[in-house]
Amino acid sequence: MKCADYKAALHGRRRLWRDRGVLPRRIIATVLWLLLVASSVLGQAKPGEYQVKAAYLYNFGRFVEWPSNITTASTGSFTICVLGEDPFGPALDSTLTGETRGNQKVAARRISSPQEYVDCQILFISTSEAKRLNKIIEALGNSAVLTVSDIPGFSQRRGMIQLVMEGNRIRFEVNLAATQRAGLTLSSELLKVATAVRKDGD
Amino acid sequence: MLKIQNYSISKKLTWMNMLVSGVALLLACSGFCAYDLYSFRDALVRNVSIQAQIIGDNTVSALLFNDPHSAEKTLSALEANQHLLYAQIYTRDGQPFAGYWRDRPGDTQPVPAIPAGQTQTYWYRDGHLGLTRAIIFQEKPTGTLYIRSDLGAMNDRLRSYAVIIIVVFLASLVVALLISRISQRVISEPVMQLAQTVRIVSHEKNYSIRAATNPNRDEVSTLIESVNEMLEQIQQRDGALQRAHGELEQRVRERTIQLAVANKELDLRNREVERATQMKSRFLASMSHELRTPLNAIVGFSDLLADGTPGVLNVKQKRFVDHIKQGSTHLLQLINDILDLSKIEAGQLELHNEEFLVKDALPEVLSTISPLAMAKNIRVEQKVESKSLVKADRVRFKQVLYNLLSNAVKFTPKGGLIGIECVDDGAFVCVSVTDTGIGIRPEDQKMVFEEFRQVEGTADSAHQGTGLGLAITKRLVEQQGGRISLESELGKGSRFSFTLLAVEPTEPYSLEEPTRAAVTMVSDRLTPLVLIVDDEVPARELLASYLEPEYRVAMAESGTEALEEAQRLQPNAITLDVMMPGSNGFETLVALRKNPETANIPVIILSIVDQKQVGFALGAADYLIKPVRKPALLDTIRRHVPSPGDDDSAILLVDDDPKALELLEEALRSAGYETQGVCSGARALEVLANKVVGAILLDLLMPGMDGFQVIRHVREEPALKELPILVMTAKNLTPDEIALLNRETQGLLQKDGSWKNQLIAELARVIRGHKLAKSAGSHD
Repeated sequence: MKCADYKAALHGRRRLWRDRGVLPRRIIATVLWLLLVASSVLGQAKPGEYQVKAAYLYNFGRFVEWPSNITTASTGSFTICVLGEDPFGPALDSTLTGETRGNQKVAARRISSPQEYVDCQILFISTSEAKRLNKIIEALGNSAVLTVSDIPGFSQRRGMIQLVMEGNRIRFEVNLAATQRAGLTLSSELLKVATAVRKDGD
Repeated sequence: MLKIQNYSISKKLTWMNMLVSGVALLLACSGFCAYDLYSFRDALVRNVSIQAQIIGDNTVSALLFNDPHSAEKTLSALEANQHLLYAQIYTRDGQPFAGYWRDRPGDTQPVPAIPAGQTQTYWYRDGHLGLTRAIIFQEKPTGTLYIRSDLGAMNDRLRSYAVIIIVVFLASLVVALLISRISQRVISEPVMQLAQTVRIVSHEKNYSIRAATNPNRDEVSTLIESVNEMLEQIQQRDGALQRAHGELEQRVRERTIQLAVANKELDLRNREVERATQMKSRFLASMSHELRTPLNAIVGFSDLLADGTPGVLNVKQKRFVDHIKQGSTHLLQLINDILDLSKIEAGQLELHNEEFLVKDALPEVLSTISPLAMAKNIRVEQKVESKSLVKADRVRFKQVLYNLLSNAVKFTPKGGLIGIECVDDGAFVCVSVTDTGIGIRPEDQKMVFEEFRQVEGTADSAHQGTGLGLAITKRLVEQQGGRISLESELGKGSRFSFTLLAVEPTEPYSLEEPTRAAVTMVSDRLTPLVLIVDDEVPARELLASYLEPEYRVAMAESGTEALEEAQRLQPNAITLDVMMPGSNGFETLVALRKNPETANIPVIILSIVDQKQVGFALGAADYLIKPVRKPALLDTIRRHVPSPGDDDSAILLVDDDPKALELLEEALRSAGYETQGVCSGARALEVLANKVVGAILLDLLMPGMDGFQVIRHVREEPALKELPILVMTAKNLTPDEIALLNRETQGLLQKDGSWKNQLIAELARVIRGHKLAKSAGSHD
């Protein structure tokens, strides 16, 4: 084999592993970024916002410990449920595709009534349910379901994590008392990045 | 340049210690340093890595929930480590997320790649450590962290190490120095002490000093002990040497004393010996005188008697006289030989070396030998190289040759042959005498040269001799630097050879080839001329040798030539052989007589046949029968040739011995001289004062005034200054005396057997010389 060929081969291989790691991500990032720019240019920020929020939903699950009897649910998967009108569109499903938590597959489910929460580990309450929020919270009681919503004042109304906009960044507040009541353990890491951590439903 | 080889041992040891400890220390320090730096670097990486991990873990939520502030807050914890210069967190997409700059915000480093399958990588570049670590949360890559740390810590460590190493190094060297100082005491100090001791010993030569011993059992102590042992041995030997030296000195002193004593004794003995030698010399001198004087009388008078001077003897008387003559001659020869031998042995033999041709010396000897040989009808042949020149004492050479020849004649039977040969090989001249005599047995050959040894069975009357001849001959040859040897075969003959130093002729010797009828003597008009007429060369030569130097000689080999020569030369006498080819002697005689110019020249006929009547009838002056003996010939010629002394005053004879005086007077008168004899020096001076004499014949040893005094007195008298003096003595003369006599007198004769003819010849010579001088003086 000639030297030049060998070098070329080596170069090609390097290119290969780099491609495998970085390029797809870049492409994804670029696509996302283009989508975001396009949406902002068109005056529609929501798909981008909910894209991030979808990722947040998944990530919250990574910082929260559920009581051990709950996690091994009948479905055998880690389920993120959306109650009410789905603001995510396809973003949630695409975000969760292929993701796992521990050895559980992560899946999304849309529900229309609070009673359907049984198999849900995370419950996103859409803004469409704002009027029925108290009833929903009540219905959930102390069950080990992490409730997340971008309904304003959610964390004060015994909701556990409320997504808030801070400038163009999406942040969140935590109601620690609510999580403790539900038997959920929140990582300090999560609390560290929360804009506010509430001890009780005041 | 100082070389380390020349350092003292202690310095060398110190150097060695320092060097070894320094090198060891340096190596150890370097190794330690290298290891420490390596582990330090490792630790640094680990440290940074841990920090990166902590930071990463603590910024996971910030990354996931997009909270750069929180991440920055976490990063600011890095302030605690002053060496961390820069940290950067990147999102999962590689976008810079949060940064930390130690001093002020700077450039943002693009996300460094981490090799696949690894969670972190690091590198040292530009004095920095860069470390990139993936932030992984729940096994999912969440972001990347890059931390840059300076190596200040390492440099600090290096600096402190350098300081520590230097300090440790110096301290160690000091300690090593101290230790080597101490160790010197163990190793080098004994060696130095030993060296010092040895130096002192060699410098002061004091071998009693010992090197200080060492309690240690090592090589140095062994060396010291060996040196001490060596010193011990040297001391012992030195002592022995000193003692030996002392003994030697003592011995030398003793020997010196002994030697001095011996010397003194030797001196005494020497003086005694000298005295004895002097006495011996005196004895010899007086012996020679006392013995010869009476013997001379015996020989002389018996000679005169035999010659018939006082009257004709009858046959019996004549025979008795011959016996007396023979006996006395023999005795005289014996005495002469003994004296010669004594002289040689006493080292008193004076040799007067001169250069001469062997050929020239030969006739003088032959003239003596030929009559003896002829008497026994022995032919003498000579084969002599005419150019052989030798350096020797001429007289002694003749004596040697005479001894050998007379020996040969003595031992050769009648009709035999004697050969004389002379060979010159450049360095030596070898003269051999060969005879056909009885020969000598090999066992006797060595004895013949010993004194008083005669070969047994030869001592009959025919061979009688002194027994000293060959002994003297041998010594004479050897004294002149030659050798004598003998070859002989019993019954066939002997051959005696002797060598003499040869001389390269420096100038060509004018070799007097005897030309026919040439006058061989110096043309001295006063010397009478004799014409020898004979057809045989040897005969002519023999006759010539008889006549010279008293007469001038001319030769002719035939009658006709004789007539011419006689007319031309007008000789004073003619000897004529009768038996000649062509005209015989008598015819020649007649012819001479007829010619008026030659009629008055006396002719003496020499013939083998006795025809006296015919000879005298034809007018011969005298008639001699061959073989002719020299005295007879000379006497005859003297009778007919007018003597030079004829017209002269008388010869004054001075001798204290009346017998000698009478003998001399008789002899001289028979030769035609007038004589007056006196028996003392004083008497001689009286005669000289009153009378004019022709010459003085002087004896040396006389009572009262001796011969030397007489000479002195004569020479002091102006009128007698030129008067010829002939000294005739039996005394053994010293060189000084000989020199004096040579200066003051005209001739010197030894009284021995054959003195008479010599005396007459000498006398004729000196008187002629005197006359010549006088006539020359008067002509001037």
